[in-house]
Amino acid sequence: MKTIQKLPFYALIVSLFVFTACEPEEPVVENDGEVITDVTLNFTELDASGNPVGTPISFKASDPEGIEVGASPVVQTVSLMKGKTYRLDIEVFNAIENEDITEEILEEADEHQFYFLGSAFVGSSAPLTYVYDDESGELIGVRGIVTVASSPGFNNAQMRIVLRHDLDKNYPGANNPNFENFVMAGGETDLDITFPLVLN
Amino acid sequence: MKKLIPYITVILTTLILAFPSKAQNCNLSIRGKVIHLENNQPIPGAYVWLEETKQGMVTDLDGNFLIRNLCQGTYNLKIQFLGHKEIQEKIDLASNSFNKTFRMEEESFALSGVEIHGHRDAVQTTTAVTALYGEQLLESRGENLGESLKRVAGVTTFSTGNSIAKPVIHGLHSNRIMILNNGIRLEGQQWGAEHAPEIDPFLADEITVIKGAETVRFGPEAMGGVILVSPAEIPTKSESKTDLYVLGASNGRMGNVSVTHQDGFKSIKGLGYRVQGSVKRAGNIQSPDYYQANTGLNEINFSGALGYTSPKLGAEIYYSFFNTELGILRDSHTGNLTDLQEIIANGRPFSNVGFTYDILNPKQKVAHHLGKIKSHYHINSNWKANLQYGFQLNQRQEFDRRRGDLNERASLDLELFTNTLDLFVDHTHPNEFSGTWGLNIIQQANSNIPGTGVTPLIPNYQMLNMGFYGIEKYSKGPLEIEGGIRFDFRDVSTARFVNNELEEVDLNYSNFTAFLGAYYQLSPSLTFSTNLGSAWRPPNINELFSQGLHHGAAAVEIGDQDLNSEKSLKWVNSLEFTSNKSTFELTAYANRISNYIYLNPTGDTFVSLRGTFNVYEYLQANALFYGFDFSGSYEFTSNFNAYVKGSIIRAKNTDEDNFFPFIPSDRMDWGLSYKLGQEKKTHKFTISNQLVARQSREPDFDLAPAPDAYALFNFGYLTQLPIGQNKLNLGLQVQNIFNNSYKEYMNRFRYFTDDIGRNILLKINYQF
Repeated sequence: MKTIQKLPFYALIVSLFVFTACEPEEPVVENDGEVITDVTLNFTELDASGNPVGTPISFKASDPEGIEVGASPVVQTVSLMKGKTYRLDIEVFNAIENEDITEEILEEADEHQFYFLGSAFVGSSAPLTYVYDDESGELIGVRGIVTVASSPGFNNAQMRIVLRHDLDKNYPGANNPNFENFVMAGGETDLDITFPLVLN
Repeated sequence: MKKLIPYITVILTTLILAFPSKAQNCNLSIRGKVIHLENNQPIPGAYVWLEETKQGMVTDLDGNFLIRNLCQGTYNLKIQFLGHKEIQEKIDLASNSFNKTFRMEEESFALSGVEIHGHRDAVQTTTAVTALYGEQLLESRGENLGESLKRVAGVTTFSTGNSIAKPVIHGLHSNRIMILNNGIRLEGQQWGAEHAPEIDPFLADEITVIKGAETVRFGPEAMGGVILVSPAEIPTKSESKTDLYVLGASNGRMGNVSVTHQDGFKSIKGLGYRVQGSVKRAGNIQSPDYYQANTGLNEINFSGALGYTSPKLGAEIYYSFFNTELGILRDSHTGNLTDLQEIIANGRPFSNVGFTYDILNPKQKVAHHLGKIKSHYHINSNWKANLQYGFQLNQRQEFDRRRGDLNERASLDLELFTNTLDLFVDHTHPNEFSGTWGLNIIQQANSNIPGTGVTPLIPNYQMLNMGFYGIEKYSKGPLEIEGGIRFDFRDVSTARFVNNELEEVDLNYSNFTAFLGAYYQLSPSLTFSTNLGSAWRPPNINELFSQGLHHGAAAVEIGDQDLNSEKSLKWVNSLEFTSNKSTFELTAYANRISNYIYLNPTGDTFVSLRGTFNVYEYLQANALFYGFDFSGSYEFTSNFNAYVKGSIIRAKNTDEDNFFPFIPSDRMDWGLSYKLGQEKKTHKFTISNQLVARQSREPDFDLAPAPDAYALFNFGYLTQLPIGQNKLNLGLQVQNIFNNSYKEYMNRFRYFTDDIGRNILLKINYQF
């Protein structure tokens, strides 16, 4: 009985011990694994039979801080030649982790798809035509064929490139690279960049 | 002038009370209240005898008695109650009536055969208190804590879909109210709007809501009110009792089983235990026109307690474990502002899914361990020393839809340790005073578990809070006056990396709080209570340090390390009327909060490769919350009964003269019930109607306008059948009978989806 009556005292001792034993961990630098810092559009000119000619030309959009609050992204102006056909390879990169995200997109091909919008692609007089041409045959948009009209109605346009993640690829219309209602297919946006386009 | 209106309302409420009539010579009375000396609980059924007039009576349920029509003179009063020392009092009745609180002391334990009763302490407060127990609690079984508490007038929920509901008391929630799990303040990551309280309502035998500012008693943050989730008393003698619940719901195809078993040990007198566990599984919730994708839920909870009670000593060991995995509506996770605006314009999710129990990302996994040791010792019949120590570990993981291996990793992974220590003494004297003096220490350590691949939202931190308090109560018959004072000191030290550089911040906060309250029993059927209390809350860690994208919300949130503590002054008045046929309760309040912290849209947008985001910042302003809740019931016949309850809240930013977001709109609930059967075997049918107005007081900026008003109809059937010595309760409920499509302003997912459709629930409870 005596021991039981001293219980509060023992409890106090125990609790004081626990009190001193609880400290937070030291913080660790966490590298953002999912952030996209650089998106590069590589255009390779194709001849009439579809073979590459010349050296590819590249245009880049970059935001070294990813999606942290800070500087705005830098987006280069895309400059293409009228009447030509190009192969467009999109490279997506995370410079913070030094990680090629393009590979991940290809690995999860069923969950990712690029859409090509803006005045460059959408509308009856749009100067560019896009066709998916991914190596696996799946519609992803990592590789595609862009055809520039030989006498477009205008020489300046906006190229909006959207990468959707976790969408329903079977949604009616989702197979159209210029599908303006891409949100209807569900999922969320991983990239939404508008490149200015100049046609020479 | 406008600002005065709420105060005038409250003053008027006060003035409604009639003053007690002046006594005539032979119109004097003796009034008293009989309570346990030990824990201040009222003693109903104590025998009161007045020698001179040969008048005898028994105290009512609240321990009150009243002897009227007495002339001037000297009287001898005797109070008797089994197992307690008799009280004899000589009373001189002169010109005034006599009032007193009588505290009865338990008889010496040497006497064999005297039953030792448990030590559960009643909530002793002069603030408005409402409790959920018995039949009402039975009806709420299967719901989460927030949903259950909607049954209390003045309590609503701030929810994120159907599985995450945070209780809102008088317009305040999260860190502005406090939840106690068996006496220990629940410490989870309450700062997040989508972080539900980590508690299993099945462990409760009673859930009590205190609607006043209770910082003095319970510590900082108890500004809007306190919710006490209390298990049943641990048995003190061998008396096996098992409570089994089996519940099913059509919507979400929810299944829920809970078992509670308690007993006492024969070998050791006063030693008893209780174990309880529950399992819950639900799949996709169905709105009237579609399923909500990824809204399933898995829950496994357990709690156990061991208690020892002897006349002088009481001790309890308690452990509870809460474990949940819940899916977050897929469509609520948007990549950028455009996504968000598109789904809002669409008014419903884009996804078209069927039913499944599977839970995918985005999802939350939360585990909460709570252990406590509690002990009290009766130093003598007037003084009691108490010690309570609690340990909590909260583990929260939040998963987003991510690429590659990252999809398997949590993007938010937090571990929060909390130690709480309470040391206090209670004194109860046969005279008018009783009180509590104590020390309260809270220590916390919060860590981000590395490996998320996401810059942490909040830094790692350590927090130490020390508080000293004293509360004294003066009781005289129907009157109780209570006052208290507290001083708190809090130290927070944080550490995190900003641009690869370690940033350490030390923050200190301290504050005095005080309260004064009174409770007066105007007549046996009418009581009035008033309470004026100050409270404070230091800024939350996210309010101080947020700096970046709130994933899924398409918002960039910016904290401010220079935020000051919020301070509030809440005045609550409550009038309660009870007669044979009717009950009525009215609670009116005004809460003035200075430095109220809120998330304000800056109007700026932030552009990234991912698209555009709205930018929000944490600001402070003075706020005024006021309003009232009411509840009442009336018995037309012994079978036929009607009830009504409702609440009105007004909340304003008085600096900017505009409204805060997510303040509950005006609402009421009324119903009719019909009872059949005899005393033990009853059938009860209830039809009820819930009316919720549109929130017309909207903030200047919101992603979508407030949804329309709605009305829901519900049906309930409850039967209680005795089976031998055992008892079977069977319930059938139909919620949202007409399968109405509606959106609730207080649900954050109103932007994305309609609320839950018709739900049919079957509830079986067997007590043996």
